[in-house]
Parts: sequence; structure tokens; C-alpha cells
Amino acid sequence: MESLADLASPITIGVLLGGLYVVIALGLSLVFGVMKVINVAHGDLVILGSYLAFVASTSWGLDPILSLVVGIPLFFIMGIFIEKFLLHRAFRMSVDAALIVTFGISLIIQNGAQLVWTPLSRGLMTSYTLESLKIGDVYLPLVYLVDFVMAVVVVLAVHQFLKRTYLGQAITAASQDSQTAELMGINPARVYQIAFGIAMALAAIAGVSLALTFPFTPKSGVPFLIIAFGVIILGGLGSMVGTFIGGMIFGLSQTLGGHFWGPTGQLLVPFVMVLVVLTIRPQGLFGR
Amino acid sequence: MSEEVLLRVSNIDVFYGSAQVLWDVSLEVRSGEIVAIAGANGAGKSTLLKTISGVIHPAKGSIEFAGRNITNLNAYDIVAQGISQVPEGRRLFPEMTVLQNLMIGSYNGKARAKREENLTRVHELFPVLKERKNQLAKTLSGGEQQMVAIGRGLMSNPRVMIIDEMSLGLSPLIASDLFRVLHEIRARGITVLLVEQNVWQTLHEADRGYIIETGRIVLSGNALELCEEEEVRDAYFGV
Amino acid sequence: MQTTVRRYMPLISLGAATVVLAVLPKTGVPQAWLLYLFYFFLFLAAANMWNLLAGYSGLLALCPAAFIGLAGYTMTILTWLDIPFYVGIIAGGAAAALFAAIISPSVFRMKGVYFAIGTLVVPEILRLVFLRWRPVGGELHGGGAGYMVKGMSGVTAEHRYWLALAIGVASIIVIGIILRSKFGLGLAAIRDNDATAASAGIDVFRLKLYSFVIGAFVTGIAGAIFYSHQGYIEPSAGFHIKWLMTALLATVIGGKGIEGGPLVGTIIVVILHFQLARYGELSLLIQGIILVIMMLAAPQGIMGLVRDVRKTGGVRALLRSVSRGRIKARQV
Repeated sequence: MESLADLASPITIGVLLGGLYVVIALGLSLVFGVMKVINVAHGDLVILGSYLAFVASTSWGLDPILSLVVGIPLFFIMGIFIEKFLLHRAFRMSVDAALIVTFGISLIIQNGAQLVWTPLSRGLMTSYTLESLKIGDVYLPLVYLVDFVMAVVVVLAVHQFLKRTYLGQAITAASQDSQTAELMGINPARVYQIAFGIAMALAAIAGVSLALTFPFTPKSGVPFLIIAFGVIILGGLGSMVGTFIGGMIFGLSQTLGGHFWGPTGQLLVPFVMVLVVLTIRPQGLFGR
Repeated sequence: MSEEVLLRVSNIDVFYGSAQVLWDVSLEVRSGEIVAIAGANGAGKSTLLKTISGVIHPAKGSIEFAGRNITNLNAYDIVAQGISQVPEGRRLFPEMTVLQNLMIGSYNGKARAKREENLTRVHELFPVLKERKNQLAKTLSGGEQQMVAIGRGLMSNPRVMIIDEMSLGLSPLIASDLFRVLHEIRARGITVLLVEQNVWQTLHEADRGYIIETGRIVLSGNALELCEEEEVRDAYFGV
Repeated sequence: MQTTVRRYMPLISLGAATVVLAVLPKTGVPQAWLLYLFYFFLFLAAANMWNLLAGYSGLLALCPAAFIGLAGYTMTILTWLDIPFYVGIIAGGAAAALFAAIISPSVFRMKGVYFAIGTLVVPEILRLVFLRWRPVGGELHGGGAGYMVKGMSGVTAEHRYWLALAIGVASIIVIGIILRSKFGLGLAAIRDNDATAASAGIDVFRLKLYSFVIGAFVTGIAGAIFYSHQGYIEPSAGFHIKWLMTALLATVIGGKGIEGGPLVGTIIVVILHFQLARYGELSLLIQGIILVIMMLAAPQGIMGLVRDVRKTGGVRALLRSVSRGRIKARQV
């Protein structure tokens, strides 16, 4: 019989893991809110960010978080290009068409990454990835704390951006009513580009977080897409608090699932949760 | 009221796909006027407004504003020119607060500089909006929403405000208040183009009017004179 | 008399082609041809069914791998219980159909994008389940969680070829019948707009259910036949996304929502499959690129282009109207 104390470790880690999932989910949610399209390639783009951090770390000796100085602008610009030249045309045809295009992009990235970096599992090692904090009886790997802090910073930054800048408010307005937003002088095409660029920048950040925390392969993206999707559905679109709570719930589902049912449970429990949430309450806990 | 023609629509034909909805429509709005476009439901009023705002483009004809040809400009560029549209059904951003809705109205470049000034004016016109500034737009009453919509339109610092079906769904009392506001807006130098199903009241508030029927302008002229026209009385006043 | 012939022309051609293809193995053509055709018939069945769902029923179902894997596993496990594989194939189709029926109340509550991602998760869940679940005891294949297919001695490549031919042709007939029936009319209404169709008295749920189940059944049979040929099945292969990829790509290339689309698309996909086979993941990469290019440049697919050319009276007229279309009145 498990005592609560035995669960202390998976629970703590699960909650902190939620931070990582929030950052992944935020990018997905931004694009979904504005364009009503789920970027099926989002998980793979996060993994691409992980590979970038990996390259920075192994080839240039850069600390992965520092590499974001290059990574964020690079991914932002990539995002604008992808939206402008690939996604936008498909989006104007239909949401389904855009979905299929992102599916194609997902395949391209997954298999491209496999060609370049082989299916070998990769991970990042830095001074802090091996350290643990001891809190009571719980050994808390430092990385999870780093992930969580990064998540809080990112979420606050994005929240402030959306609330206090004209561009941010334009994105918010376009998510709620793009036709009327146009009447305000907002160019929807530009809004989509910027939103996608920001989503990609967030993917870069999430990629670094992920690379520090887990080993990854070119095919690691899909589970993260599914979980991120679950997070935004559970948390409800547009609610930062909701997304955070959703992230933590999914983080918990993963660590507890892994604790009771091993590596299969680690993915199975969150996946089943996604289906359950989709069926029962697609508007989420905090959604409208 | 000057004689300068601010907005000139010339002989436009507009299609939805392959179906024609406007035939050879022309109208003029002079600086400082309140002009009404009246007609029954489905006559083409909203289509006409959407064409002027740049949401749709005419297949033939032209639209000029302050001497510039705006026929093929995108909707988001036309706002910058000085035309602001208050859409039918208000179309506020439901999850944004009253204040946020007003502020987003000042999105375009020229309006940003005058943001605070315009906001003060809007609060003067509609004091209740200052009280409710942090309330979510979707929780407001119809009349309050219309106030926000008009306020939002004013925030874009327009020369011409186009208002689509302002009194739709509102009680006559509130509608009257809003019409009064229109006069105050005009007093501040903003030209108003009004579209309404409520032909009687609208013609009594406007300077000039156009009657539109099944996609064509059938009558135009001084608003009060139009009220006297037998055709108008028969068709719209149920006399 | 002449119009009667014309009306039945497609059916006659189908019949003639079927006879020719059925006789083919006996005419001494290279084995490789038979293999290509084997794949072609199976991919065709999957593509036709995907077209039924995504092209005609408004169901962008990303779960064909679920049907294929489930049917494959059913067939394989039944062979361990000494049930002949050809019975297992039907049972596999039935299992997939049953599964579709069971999940439909929940997945049909998901609209649009939610449905797409929801169905994407399903094969992933099944893959994980079959990684752990061993319904019948026995040897682990290659250290993984797979099963060998038993009782296949005495079954020749020809037999499997004919099975594949059967399901490929069956898929064409099934689509043909559906599209020409009241069922098909109902689907057309649903594809345009769920709510409008419902208000016109169409039982949206029931029609979607029928599509989903039929699609699952035929796709499942195709999958089971494939694995009877392959000889073993494991979770990562049976529920692999490449099943979705082939069906989707074939339909998009050929023309989504067009009856002849999957046929044309599958021809191209099979050629690609075999030409690129030795390139491993480069193959999937190229297919991804082709998918993106097709969706952007010719979303209506090859048959869609053909239809547009016919409608506007020739290629030149088509190009002219495309360029002019940019300046016409925009629809809100």
C-alpha cells in the first residue's frame, strides 16, 4: 500500500513539470486562439528547439539557456516565414487545409531531424542538470525547478504583452472577432504572422527546457503535442491561470501514471485524459 | 456645414459571388452632415456599408474619400484614412473590458497620439462607460454595448463615422438618447453616415437621406422632404 | 441503347479491369508487379475510406491506423487460437467497426479541429495498450510486443493478392453505392454544414456513424490482409502514423471529395512508396513536402484540376479565370 509520503516525489515533480507543459501549451494556444488551427507540428517544433539547444551546447559549448539569445529571434523569424508562405494560403482555403499543411510540416520536421541527427536519443548535460535539492525526504532534481521558474517568467511576459501592448491587444481582439478587428485597423494577416512567430519563440524556449529535462528523439514531438492540446482544452482558451492549472494536472497525470504503471502509464494516462476532457468538457475548467 | 464632399460613392455594382446585390449605387456625404441610408431589411444597406468600409470591393464603380480613391483599399487601411465603422450588432470584443474595447479603437497610428484626449471625450458623452470601465463587454446591456461601440468608433479619430443599425434591438428611449449623441458627435466636427431600418426616426434626425430598395437607390434628398414623399410614407410609415 | 452503355461504362470498365487483374498472376508477370498491385489495392481501400470520411462526411479522421492495427491484431491473435486467417480478416474488420461504433458517441461530440486531434490520439493510445497487453501468451517477436501470424503455411502470395484485389475493388463499389444513394445525399448536406443538415431533418449522428463504421470495417480488412502478408505485427508498426499518411496523401493528391480521387492518388503514392523505399526516412520527408506543396498549389487534387479544366472549357480558359478571380468582388 502506497503511503502519501511515497507519492511526494512524483507529486512534486508532476506539479513542476506542469511548468514545462504550460510553455509548450502557450504557443499552441496562441495560434489556436487567433487562427482556430491546431499546429500539428508544434510538438515537433519544440523538439527542433531542443536540437538547436543540443547543437549550441555540443558544438559551440554554449549554455542552452544562453543559446536562446540566438534561438528566440531565429525561431520567431522562422515562424513568420512559415505562417506567411505556407500556413496562410492554406488557412484562407479552410481550417482543414491548414491542419493538413501543419501535418505535412510535422512530417517534414520529424524526418528531417531524423536524417540530420539520427534516431539516437539525445539529452543535454549542464552543471545543473545533475543536481538535486533535498527537501525533506524528497529529492528534487534542480532542472524541474528551473523549468518551472522559466515557465512562470514566460507566462508573465506573454500575459503582459497581450494585455499592455497594442499588438498584444490586437492579437486578443483578432482571436475573439477577426472581422471586427479589421474594422479597428488591425491587419489580420500581420496578426497571424506575429502570433505564429511568438508561438515559435515559445517553442524554442520550451525546447531548451525539455532538452534539459528529458532525453529526446526526432519522434518525441507527438506526445508533447497531444499533452499540450490537452492542457489548453482543460485549462480553457485564454485563461493563463487555467493553462497553468491544466499543465500541472497533466504533469501530475504523467508522473503518477508513470509511478503506478511504468513508462507506458506515463503516456497512457495523459492521453486517455485528453480524450476524456475532449468528450466531457471541451470548453475546459476555466473556459467560456 | 461646408459643401465639401467628403465621401463620394459613384455607380458601384457589388456582387456576392455571382449574385448581384447592388446596382449602380451612388451617394455623397458632405463634411459636417448627418446622412441617412434607409430601407427595408435585405435592401442592401449593410452591403453598401461593407463596401464603403472595404470589407467587400465593388465590381464596378468607385469610392472616393477626401479626394482619395479608396475603392480597393483593405478594410484595415481605410480606418487609417479616417473612416470608422460601428458595425451592425455592435460586435464588441466579448472577453475584453469596456476600457479595452475603447482602447483597441485607437489602434491605428494617427489615433494613438490622441488616445487620452479622445477617451476623455467618450467619457463625457457616455459617463456610464467610465463607471463600467473594467466590466467585460459581454455582460453589458444592449444600450450600453451600443455606447461602447460608438465610443470605440470615436477612438479611431475619424472624420466620418458609419453607423450600421444603431437602434436595432434597443428600446425607443435608448434609441432617442443615442440619436441625441449623434448630434453632439456632429457638433464636434465628425460627419455621420447612418444606416437604419427605422426609417421614420432616422429621417427626422438626419440632414439628408437616401432610400434604398432591392439594391438600388430609389430616392434621395433633404431628409424632411423625403418624409413628406408619398412613396416613402406608403412604403415605410404604414399610413 | 447508346446512353445505357455510357451510363454503365464505369461499372463495365471496373468489371473488365477486375477480371484482367484477377487473371494476372496466372499470366506469368513478374512477382514484383504482383507486389506493387498488392500494395496498391490495400492503399486504395484505405484511401477510399479516408475519402469517405474526410471528403464526404466532414470527418477529418486522423485514426485510420487505429482500424488497421486493431484489425491486424485481431486477425493475428485469432490465428493463435487456431482460427484460419481469412476468418480472422473478416473478424478484424468487424473488430475495427465495433471499435469505431464504441468510440463514436464520444468522438462525434468533438467538432472540427477537436475531432481531428481527438482521433489522432486514439491510435497512440492503442499503441500503448498493445505494448503492455498480451491477450494470448507466447513468444515475444524480436524482443518487442509483437505477434507472429500463425497458420499461414500453404497460403501463397497469389491468394493474398486476390484478397487484396477483392477489398480494393470492394472499396470502389462501396463508395460508388453510397454516393449514389440517399445516404450519400445526406452526407453531402452534412459535409457542407452540420447544423443546417440537422435542421433539414437529417439524423447527423446516425449518418456519421454509418460512415465511420463502414470506413473502419473496410480499412480494417485491408489492414488485416496486409498483416497476413507481413507475417507479424507489433504495436509501433500496426498503429503507425504512416497509415494515415498514405491514405491522406493519396486522397489529397487525387482529389478529396471526388469519387475517382483516391484511385489516381493511390497510383502515385504506390509509385512513390516503392521508388523511395530504400531511402528510409527521406521517403516520409519527401511525402511530407509533396503533401504541403499539393495543399498549397492544387488543393483540389489532380481529379479536381481535371474537373475545373472541363468546367471552364480548357486549360487556357482555366488559367485566365484564375488570374481574373483575384480582382472580383470579395465575399465576406
